[in-house]
Formats: sequence, structure tokens, C-alpha cells
Amino acid sequence: MRTALLAAAACVIAIGVAAAQASKPAPAALPDWSGVWQMVGPTVFDRASVQPQNGRAGDPGVREFPPLTDEYEAIYRKNIERIKAGTFPDPISVCGVPHGFPRIMNVPDVYEFAVTPTATYVLAENGPGIARIYTDGRNHPPAEELWGTYTGASVGHWEGDTLVFETRGLKESRDNDVIIDRTGLVLSDAARVTTRLRKVNDMMLEAVMVIEDAKALKAAWKVTKQYRKMPAGTWAWDYGCAENNRNPISGSGKTLTIGPNGKPLDKNVE
Amino acid sequence: MTFTRLIAAAALWGAAMSAPLAAHHSAAMFDDDKVVELNGTIKEMQWTNPHIWIQVVVDNNGKKTEWSVEGGSPNTLSRNGWRSTTFKFGDAVTVRVNPMKDGTAAGQFIGAKFTDTGKTIGRWE
Repeated sequence: MRTALLAAAACVIAIGVAAAQASKPAPAALPDWSGVWQMVGPTVFDRASVQPQNGRAGDPGVREFPPLTDEYEAIYRKNIERIKAGTFPDPISVCGVPHGFPRIMNVPDVYEFAVTPTATYVLAENGPGIARIYTDGRNHPPAEELWGTYTGASVGHWEGDTLVFETRGLKESRDNDVIIDRTGLVLSDAARVTTRLRKVNDMMLEAVMVIEDAKALKAAWKVTKQYRKMPAGTWAWDYGCAENNRNPISGSGKTLTIGPNGKPLDKNVE
Repeated sequence: MTFTRLIAAAALWGAAMSAPLAAHHSAAMFDDDKVVELNGTIKEMQWTNPHIWIQVVVDNNGKKTEWSVEGGSPNTLSRNGWRSTTFKFGDAVTVRVNPMKDGTAAGQFIGAKFTDTGKTIGRWE
């Protein structure tokens, strides 16, 4: 009996090791995502549902139509009204705050995608913007070891040339301190995102994200973003947001403009 | 070089010229439906993140006003041909901006034309 148990345990261990190795391809098998990439289109997160069509994130009245629960639809509508009043600041305006996930897949400027055998790194120039996707066979931390962060915890594996990863452990939006885009969309700490990231052709990467959120969404929400390769030799640069930030936020949430004398130019500063 | 001219934004002009630059903040303070043309001289260009700023001094019959013109990030602008020396102290320019809604002397950069050379940068028609 003891021998049988030991054999069974060895078998389980062997299967686990094999599974871990299967998710960690040899370097030669990894896809080439080198170069510098730029997101296609503006920063409305879900352009398939935005109204009015071609509406820009942050313009009054522009919204998307994810399958929001009543509670989160009410939050969204409240944010839309704040945008109309000019009192919906972008949380990244204070500089140093990450965009978070999934917003990091939806930012201006450029991207690099660093693929290694044990992890893939999404490096957004506009930042701070780094998403770490571990592919070394690990699992997500157990719930008691996970806390809500802007970019969460991402674990993935390769299915051919497609990186499939799940992101969880996302920070709940509190007073809109993390958003999806400037239309005022937010998610809850129950959000989980499954992303399939692949190269469509030599010039295009594509991320298909399926977002599930038991608090904020009535159904899964699918959003696709694409990234076009920039010319060879393109540089990505340091983005020191705090270097000369002349757009602080007032107490009422209004985005101010600092003049040459170091004081707000705005006529109404609460 | 001595006046500030407010141009009513025709629909075609607005569609072509008023798309905002990528910003790290809400653009609610700018009026996308208006274009102001500044004829002045460059005091300074701040080639910094998260936005560049062009300080333009406009002389209106002896009354000088300094405008603060906000552009994109130097990162993106440099990939589109801009340099830290694109605007130099003393350059005579015409700069078009979407002004602030509250009428203060600031705006969002659209395009510029250099008086001496006739060269343009940004969106200019």
C-alpha cells in the first residue's frame, strides 16, 4: 500500500512538473514581438460600443455600453455628469499613478513587448506603465495572499504564438482613483480579465480581452485593441510625468492650468 | 504680430484641426469649438514631460500678454519631427490654439507658422 501511495505521489509530481515545463517554451519557440508599437486609434476603451461614434474619451456625453449592472451603470452615469461639469479628473494627472489593467492596454504614446521564457512584460511608455505576465508555470497567489493593485497579478501560458493570460487582484475604484478610460468607466475588485495577445501579422499585434466582473458586469465584456509596429529604429523614451506637470487637480476635481508665474491661470479655482 | 484674432470655427475646420493632443489630463478646460490665432514672439519652449509648453508673448498695441500653449509629450512629438530647438527665444510666429473656456491666456496647440521662413508645424491649412 505504501509503495502504491509513493508511486501515485511521484506520478502527480511528474505531471505537475511536465505541466509547468509545457507552459514555459524554449527561447527559440518564443514569438518575435521586438520593436516599438503604437495603439491603433484613440483612447476610448471599447470603440465598438462608443456613442456617438468616433466620440472621444473625456468629451461631454461620450459613453460606451458594456453590460453594466445597475449599480455600476449608476456610477458611470454619475461620472458622465461630472465630465459635463468639468470635474472628472484623470487619476493619472497627479503623476506617478499607474494606469492599471486593463487601461494599460489603452494608452497613447508607444509600447514595447518584452518576451522571455518565464515572463512577458508590457512596457507602456506613457506611465508608469508596466504589466508583468508570468509564464513560468506559477499559479495566481491564493486569495488570502492577494490584494487589490492597479495592474493586478497576471499569469499566462502560450498556445502556439498566442499568449493567453488572466489578470486578477485588481484594485477597486474608490472615488475614481483608477479608471478604464476618460469616459468615466470603472470596474470593481471582482474583475478578472482573460487576454489573448498575438501577432496578427508582421505589422500588427492584437489583444483580445474578455472582462468578467461579478459586481460591475452582467455578462462578459469583450474588447479588442490593436498595436501597429513603428518604423525600425523608433525610440521609446523616459516619461517623467512629474517633471513639469502644469495641470494639477483642484479640490473640486477641476483640472487646472499653471501659468508662467507658477500660479493657476484658471479664473475659478475652488 | 500685434493682434490676437478670434476665428469662429467652421465645421470643416473644427473637424480637421481640433482633435486634441494625447494628454495625461482631462481636456475639459479647452474650447474645441474655437481657434485663437496668436501673432507673437517666443519667450520659451519648455521641452518637458508630460507636456511641452510654448510661452508666446503677444504685443497688442503695446499691451503685452504672455500665452501658455500646451502641446503633446516630447516623446511623441520627437517621433513626429519636433526637436527641443523647434521654437527658439525671439522667433516670430503665428500660433493657433484651442483657447481655455474661461478666457485666460492659455490654450492647446494646434499648429504654428514661422514668420521669417514661412515654415509650418503641427496642423496648418
